Amino acid sequence: MTMTDSPPAANTALAAASPRVVGLFDALTTTDHKRIGRLWIRSGLLGLLAATLVGVVLTIENSNSSPDDVFGGINNYFQYFSLYRFGLVLLVVAPLFVGLATVVVPMQVGATNIAFPRAAHGAVWLFMIGAGTTVVSVVSGGGWGALDGVTGAEQDAIALTLAGTGLVIVSLLAASVCVATTVVSLRTSGMNLMRVPLFAWSMLVAAGVWLLTLPVALSNLVLVYFDLRGGPRTPESFGIAEGSNAIYSQIGWLVEQPQIYAFAIPVLGVLGTIAPVVAKRRHAQHVIAVALIGLFGLLSVGGWSQPWFQGDNYDEKFVFIVFGLFAAIPVLGSIGAAADTIVGRGSDGDPDPGADVGGERGLAGLLSVYGLGAIGAALLLLAGTVAGLARVIQPWDLGDRTTVTSVMNLVLFSAAAAAIAGIWFWAPKIGGRELPVSTGRLAMLDVVAGAVLLGGADFVNGFLETPAFGYQVAGSSAPLVAEPSNQGFVEAMNVVGAIGAVLIALGALAVFAAMAKAMRSSGAVDDNPYGGQTLEWTTSSPPPPGNFSEPPGRVVSEAPLLDTVNENGEEA
Amino acid sequence: MVTTTGLPAPETTRPRSLLVGTMFSCAAAFMFFCGVIGVYILKRAEARDEGAEWFPEGVVELGPSGFIFWTLVLSVFTVQWAVQAINADDRINAYVALALTGLFGAAIFNQMWFIINDTGFASAADNAQFLFFIVNGTFIVFLIAAVVFVALTTVRALAGQFGPRRAEAVSSAAVAWNTVVFMWAVVYYLIYITK
Repeated sequence: MTMTDSPPAANTALAAASPRVVGLFDALTTTDHKRIGRLWIRSGLLGLLAATLVGVVLTIENSNSSPDDVFGGINNYFQYFSLYRFGLVLLVVAPLFVGLATVVVPMQVGATNIAFPRAAHGAVWLFMIGAGTTVVSVVSGGGWGALDGVTGAEQDAIALTLAGTGLVIVSLLAASVCVATTVVSLRTSGMNLMRVPLFAWSMLVAAGVWLLTLPVALSNLVLVYFDLRGGPRTPESFGIAEGSNAIYSQIGWLVEQPQIYAFAIPVLGVLGTIAPVVAKRRHAQHVIAVALIGLFGLLSVGGWSQPWFQGDNYDEKFVFIVFGLFAAIPVLGSIGAAADTIVGRGSDGDPDPGADVGGERGLAGLLSVYGLGAIGAALLLLAGTVAGLARVIQPWDLGDRTTVTSVMNLVLFSAAAAAIAGIWFWAPKIGGRELPVSTGRLAMLDVVAGAVLLGGADFVNGFLETPAFGYQVAGSSAPLVAEPSNQGFVEAMNVVGAIGAVLIALGALAVFAAMAKAMRSSGAVDDNPYGGQTLEWTTSSPPPPGNFSEPPGRVVSEAPLLDTVNENGEEA
Repeated sequence: MVTTTGLPAPETTRPRSLLVGTMFSCAAAFMFFCGVIGVYILKRAEARDEGAEWFPEGVVELGPSGFIFWTLVLSVFTVQWAVQAINADDRINAYVALALTGLFGAAIFNQMWFIINDTGFASAADNAQFLFFIVNGTFIVFLIAAVVFVALTTVRALAGQFGPRRAEAVSSAAVAWNTVVFMWAVVYYLIYITK
């Protein structure tokens, strides 16, 4: 008879026996999901800083209506305009959420590592290569098309941009497979899908939607790439020969509703995870929140809404309008469920009001960086989906107006704010230290207020008949701002938008400042400093290799730590 | 009684990560394929609406593509034979079935090469010929991926890594293989039968 004394997840002794290697070699060879996640998060934050700086220049340019001032021509403006949009989605928001999920989701479901850790590690490096290729090729004159026709060396640079974007999408797909598989197959005992923490659930939904839609974008890129590299290149083929923004217009569905909502699905997960922590009780409507996140995912599937499938006027089609009309409902419902959790009466399973569940109570919890961020991000997302709703109301005729830009900015900066809130919330698990509160509040207020100004200015300008840039560049001589009904007011709103962009950039800088400050700090961090209710808070900060020194016990609810508090209370 | 200390205990449950991951990957691959085939259908419809000829008469023949289809139908049986055999711990049958599946894959690759050469198409000629290359090229890429998956599974099976309690990798290879077969069924109907 053979007996084995050590439990499956008790990996600390084994890990301690092997030497810990740090530095570049470790970054190149690690299979620890926390280190892989940190690589994603750093890449995303670097992208955030770069994208917000490009955004500042673009909005300053917008406020004086001549494309020659900063960019030296409308074609260069177009390159950075499209880099900003695709960059925000593919190089900022998606990697930030993938990074958070790579670190947090395995711990939330009680797993010792992410599924396919080598694939997850390969994905992050593929992402860096793809992102680097994309940015360098755009700076070298590439981009997603050229307004004055694709010629000579420009053709090579554009092909490189398409290849780089393709690599980024492949890497995000690989990472999505790892995250989704972790949630589906590596959950601990007793954790059915209804007991999965809302952030992990939202990442499962997001990864599912990405896996169904990003390959369609990849197929678009492949067709355009091979058309450029030996295809017919006729005006009827895939856009290259038209000498316009046809490539951008074709794959622009990635940065427009409904697809843009797919990158903000985790916002609802962050809100649903943080609201109960702030309230110090269970989520009042957990099952409803699960359903609403799923519904939002369903309404954000956007691979079908592209010119090749729907024609140029796809935003006037019935299904597009239906998606636009209903997308705000799950967001509003999720905010309502969070509000019920924070200010409602609570439920039978809640801990005793006097029980020590850790963290700050009441207003202090709400004013924490993560509390502010989660709520601010959710409200921004609501604003974005409402702007999207306004866009599809046909009598208002906002389909080709700056309302489109407003939706994009509100939704993507809501996602960025939620990701930053998540980084602050899970910092003890990500890096083993807490991030500074005051700088964090400043960063969060900057990003949220900046997004309101940026998105709000474009929303107002949409009603003043200001055409969106992406819809007016078919001719190379088109002005940046056409002649709207009230030019003076539009320019004033553009200045407001520029102020918003500056605020967001300051927020991104504040995030970096906080990170630098935290890197210099030392000292022990509590295992559960905020009163978290899910399994990641049962392990130490930072977590050991293998995540848990003891395997998590059988989970009987969506808030296992509150079950522990209640059991202890009864025993007492 | 023998007591071993420090060794990890066997897993209490067997998470089917590889199977789940393969399913997610196949879903993504199929959506890529749908993106390509959707554009093919639309461009062909546009050409027909304008009264233009899509493929020149008699160039895209049904025979060789039919051979591929029926070979793939056979391979569905062989790959499921492998799954069945490994579940029954019948290693010899599993080896034979996996090897046959891989062999069918190589034969299909050969036949695809023949078809592409036989048509004499040039990718730069027009949309029809360009998309012919893209759709068939997409299929070839996924076919190669599936053959590699089956080959790796065969090697691991030969190394004795699978058995009735560890048949997940063979099942995963079968899922990937069947996805590729389904892709060809779509291609065969849309490109070769309805032209």
